[in-house]
Amino acid sequence: MYRYDEFDAAFVKARADQFREQVGRRISGEMNEDQFRPLRLMNGLYLQLHAYMLRVAVPYGTLGGKQMRKLAHIARTYDRGYGHFTTRTNIQYNWPKLVDIPAIIDHLAEVEMHAIQTSGNCIRNITVDQFAGAAADEIIDPRPIAEILRQWSSLHPEFSFLPRKFKIAVTGAPNDRAAIKFHDIGLKAVTNGAGEIGWEVWVGGGLGRTPMIGKLINSYVPNTDLLAYLESILRVYNRYGRRDNKYKARIKILVHEEGLETIKGQVEAEFAQVRGGVLTLPEEELDRISAYFAPPTFASYPATVIDIAREKILDPAYGRFLENNLNAHQQPGYVSVTISLKPIGKPPGDISADQMDLVADLAERFSFNELRATHEQNLVLPHVAIADLRALYDGLVAAGLEAGNVGEITDIICCPGMDFCALATARSIPIAEELSRKFSSPQRQKEIGDLKIKISGCINACGHHHVGHIGILGVEKKGGELYQITVGGDATENASVGKILGPGFEAEEVPDAIERLVDAYIARRETPDEPFIAAFRRLGEAPFKEALYGNA
Amino acid sequence: MEILTGNELISGATVYLDPQGNWVEDLQQARTFGSGDKAERDEAVAKTKATMRILSIEIEKVVLKDGQLYPERLRERIRATGSTTPVFDRQHLTEDGHVSI
Repeated sequence: MYRYDEFDAAFVKARADQFREQVGRRISGEMNEDQFRPLRLMNGLYLQLHAYMLRVAVPYGTLGGKQMRKLAHIARTYDRGYGHFTTRTNIQYNWPKLVDIPAIIDHLAEVEMHAIQTSGNCIRNITVDQFAGAAADEIIDPRPIAEILRQWSSLHPEFSFLPRKFKIAVTGAPNDRAAIKFHDIGLKAVTNGAGEIGWEVWVGGGLGRTPMIGKLINSYVPNTDLLAYLESILRVYNRYGRRDNKYKARIKILVHEEGLETIKGQVEAEFAQVRGGVLTLPEEELDRISAYFAPPTFASYPATVIDIAREKILDPAYGRFLENNLNAHQQPGYVSVTISLKPIGKPPGDISADQMDLVADLAERFSFNELRATHEQNLVLPHVAIADLRALYDGLVAAGLEAGNVGEITDIICCPGMDFCALATARSIPIAEELSRKFSSPQRQKEIGDLKIKISGCINACGHHHVGHIGILGVEKKGGELYQITVGGDATENASVGKILGPGFEAEEVPDAIERLVDAYIARRETPDEPFIAAFRRLGEAPFKEALYGNA
Repeated sequence: MEILTGNELISGATVYLDPQGNWVEDLQQARTFGSGDKAERDEAVAKTKATMRILSIEIEKVVLKDGQLYPERLRERIRATGSTTPVFDRQHLTEDGHVSI
């Protein structure tokens, strides 16, 4: 993984020192909250319902054992012994005290981490495919480009006060696991006619109160021009993006209102000016950064087939883990392993300090000291020898992290909701926990198959409900909570936004409503292998609407 | 009936203005303001802002329920007690977190 150079280290230390001084001035009364608030937000420090919340960036979701142990130390020393992984592959601490924030940020800097640009109207943490550098279907590892984009976008003077926040996602594989079409800019690796690898650029996607699928603005941008092209998009957005209404300030609204061709023309005009200038990315610089992401020294194994059927007979829980939690690797004899942070009946994405330490141990023992955070609020050990899977699994069992439910109905994305978030209009975690308990049976989950439920506690959609196969949005109604259910969303390359099929439900009605949707799907699918989303697309809304609301 | 609530600067803890002018943790100790108390309420807000130690000051509606102050909004009921799941006790004031007006 990338290591800080002298510039990075000096910059992060200077920023930590600066914020320590600012916190001191705030506490001493030299600065009031109106003056301090923008400073703390630019350092990832929010005020939530019960306490402050510190959001720590995990650049493109990549970290190692050293970083994870430090996150555990912070959780144990300054918080309540746990952290919460988010849909932006960041980690949040929900209970820090202001006086402790400078010390926490110093600890983060010790392991080349920080909380800069995890808030504010700037370019946020860049996310990538969680199997980057490992996936069998990958054209190119997207992390070197993500790192270059991180360097370009960190404290970019022109883009520190954009009309609204700006999110970029990158995938190096044709199977989109990074939800690139629901980002302000999405990048997808492609090959041109000459066999050279470049990037499809998608623009204007997003969730929130106005969900939109990104539009293809350029079908091939070579590495050399990528920074100049993205700078051109950001410059057009910064110039023309609406600042009169925060709900219409994201680039998706600009693209929607002006039209793709207009925006494309403006971007091309800007690109013509900046192309070939200082933002040209030399191949040698890309090579230099790529060297930090060189594959580990794999052992030489023959291609190995895992006999899951046999393992399921010997140990059903282990067999289920093998069936659901592995992803095909480029290297024969290896797989990527997803560690589910979705144990039955628990808050999605939460992990205790002790579990973090154990995961760090397992990363060092079994995955060349590499870890990833996923936008689906799980963790990944990207490079695990198939021969080590049983030992790894036993280690996960010891940590209580052995849930074999990845991709199944209990692998739920869920925002913190009104239990923590100051913006939320309803709770989301209790709904996730109740659904997890309702569908806890492994046999039932296997019967249902690939079905993604995503839950948000407000219209800002941090829980990605619009792109859940089944989405749940909590809203406030007459002082209580009401939950709208959407069906048919999809965050992959086959992007679609879920549809609301009717009125909302009280919290206690939601689990049964979801079960009726599931039963309607099972009753109508062509084969047990037809996934929920495929069945929905084939059948249309009617049977699902009837399942929710009857014939009336 | 209204109360004043906010978050204390150092800990971020949820606090309420009591009748003695102290910002305290317990909702049940909160001073209540009736419809004729607008001037006093606004004066308390102004004095609190002058301390620079209470953030996100809000005027919240409450009712009496079984002799207890009961916020009308669920959000405020959660703020008063802590997260409902995972269940965590609310944040508490630190030694240097006591604020008076």
